[in-house]
Amino acid sequence: MTHLLIENLHASYGDKVILNNINLAVAQGEMIALLGPSGCGKTTLLNALCGFMPIQSGCISIGDRKISTLAAEKRNITMVFQSYALWPHMTVSQNIGYGLKVQKVERAEIETRVNELLSIVNLEGLQDEKVTALSGGQRQRVALARALAIRPDVLVLDEPLSNLDAKVRLNVRHEIKALQKKLGFTSLIVTHDQEEALVMADRIAVLNQGQIEQLGTPEEIYHQPKTAFVADFMGANNKLTFSSLASLQQQISLSSLTQSKMQPSFSNKSTPYQVFFRSEDVGLTTLSQDHPKLHNETDAIRILGDVQQSAFLGGSYQISVRCGKHTIQADHHENLLEGTPVTLCVPAGALHIF
Amino acid sequence: MGVKYWHQVFNPYSDVSSALISSVFIAVLTVIVCLLVSVPAGYALSKRSMPFRAFWMLLFLIPQAFPNLTVYINIARIFYDFGLNGTLLGVVLVHSVHGLMFSVWISVAAFSSTDPMLERASRNLGAGPIYTFFHIVLPQAMPGIIASCIFVFLESLDEFTGTFFVGAPDITTLPLLLYTASMEGNYQIASITALILLVPSIGFMIIINKFMKPEMLSKLGK
Repeated sequence: MTHLLIENLHASYGDKVILNNINLAVAQGEMIALLGPSGCGKTTLLNALCGFMPIQSGCISIGDRKISTLAAEKRNITMVFQSYALWPHMTVSQNIGYGLKVQKVERAEIETRVNELLSIVNLEGLQDEKVTALSGGQRQRVALARALAIRPDVLVLDEPLSNLDAKVRLNVRHEIKALQKKLGFTSLIVTHDQEEALVMADRIAVLNQGQIEQLGTPEEIYHQPKTAFVADFMGANNKLTFSSLASLQQQISLSSLTQSKMQPSFSNKSTPYQVFFRSEDVGLTTLSQDHPKLHNETDAIRILGDVQQSAFLGGSYQISVRCGKHTIQADHHENLLEGTPVTLCVPAGALHIF
Repeated sequence: MGVKYWHQVFNPYSDVSSALISSVFIAVLTVIVCLLVSVPAGYALSKRSMPFRAFWMLLFLIPQAFPNLTVYINIARIFYDFGLNGTLLGVVLVHSVHGLMFSVWISVAAFSSTDPMLERASRNLGAGPIYTFFHIVLPQAMPGIIASCIFVFLESLDEFTGTFFVGAPDITTLPLLLYTASMEGNYQIASITALILLVPSIGFMIIINKFMKPEMLSKLGK
């Protein structure tokens, strides 16, 4: 069931187009991550949704209520701001209860609701604290409780975790997700962190230059990127460029590729061929290329190279391997000395070719 | 000798007492007039999108750009046409011309240093612009506005030239009394009056020191 519907949305600052024909349907209770690099328009999209910036054309509706022309205060879409935007002159409970006070809800009822929210976000006992006395993680929860207090139709979160310490961030990420599952609110979360999007969202919309490049489940986005941009952004850190199909075939055995990897215009394309794959999918071995152990039909790439650099990542080493004119990153369980000759194998399934 | 002149000054029927009362009364009224203009003006001018923003800001500075005497003589001439000379209202208005420079510029700085996201958060939760202004924006700008009130109050208390041309001889404030007392050779009375004028200045300066945030000063004129 579609709850929030964005149709043909265009927005710009002066001559600069920020959002170019955005179409998005969000189901009731769904969490969608808007993922993209800085300046891709993801925060602008949230601002357009909340009524903080005018749109050029298009329509936003919740159910059968058109909201794109309404003032910000009439939309019933609440936001968890990146800076939290808590009011420093109010206590925690005044902050959380503000939206209800605006609606002229009775004092006793506000108190009940505020206490309920405080226990939901685990802030019991802090209701009379000034928000300036709280830690980053606590402020974040106050912001979340405040946004949930008026039971919004849609909750939007603008980079909610970017101001937290790495350790707190991992916890809060799961807390928000669990809360969303429990309370079933419809939400949009803006992030530039692909891992955050993968963990939290039911579906991910990857944005680039004001357009949605791909919309899909985390698995789809991760394993079947539709464009070079999505592959690159989702962490396919190896990119090989070939000027022609012939040079591509020299390096990669196309016969091992399944038909689904081939784009329709694959064989007669004018732009260079780009092959993406992740360092975690590269098999690295010090055995020679024609060693019988390496005889694996599913390998699309088998290439010789020299170790150029090795970086310790904690769980593994990331090895930079120089193979002719290409440099390939591969994950490996042990450290290798510079100059060690190695063989790299990449299975056909791991390749994304554009 | 000794406290004789102090007794004379603080006698309820002395000129000094009545001048002190009218001085404070005028100062309070001036603060109110300035607030009525500077709070809305300060908020509007803190918005970058305000049309002719630089022009409006300069407008409040212009009275200070010309020699005081010429400005006040001309104001007195204009007020004469409206029958404002020698009235309390006339003196309050002439003090406001001077006070508005402080109050508007400081208010603009105070409103500019508030976080626009706080305002957005309020709108986002269903509050209209007016509710948001009084519950969110104004409390944030309050320290700056209080500081501007103190400046206006002190400036009004010390104002001489404008009061002299518009108010004298019907309105007597402390600075006017100080002037006439010293002209008549009553140096003791003049000294005590000067001391009285010093008290609020020092007191309020200490308060301003508490209220003025450095980041607010950095927003002055922006």
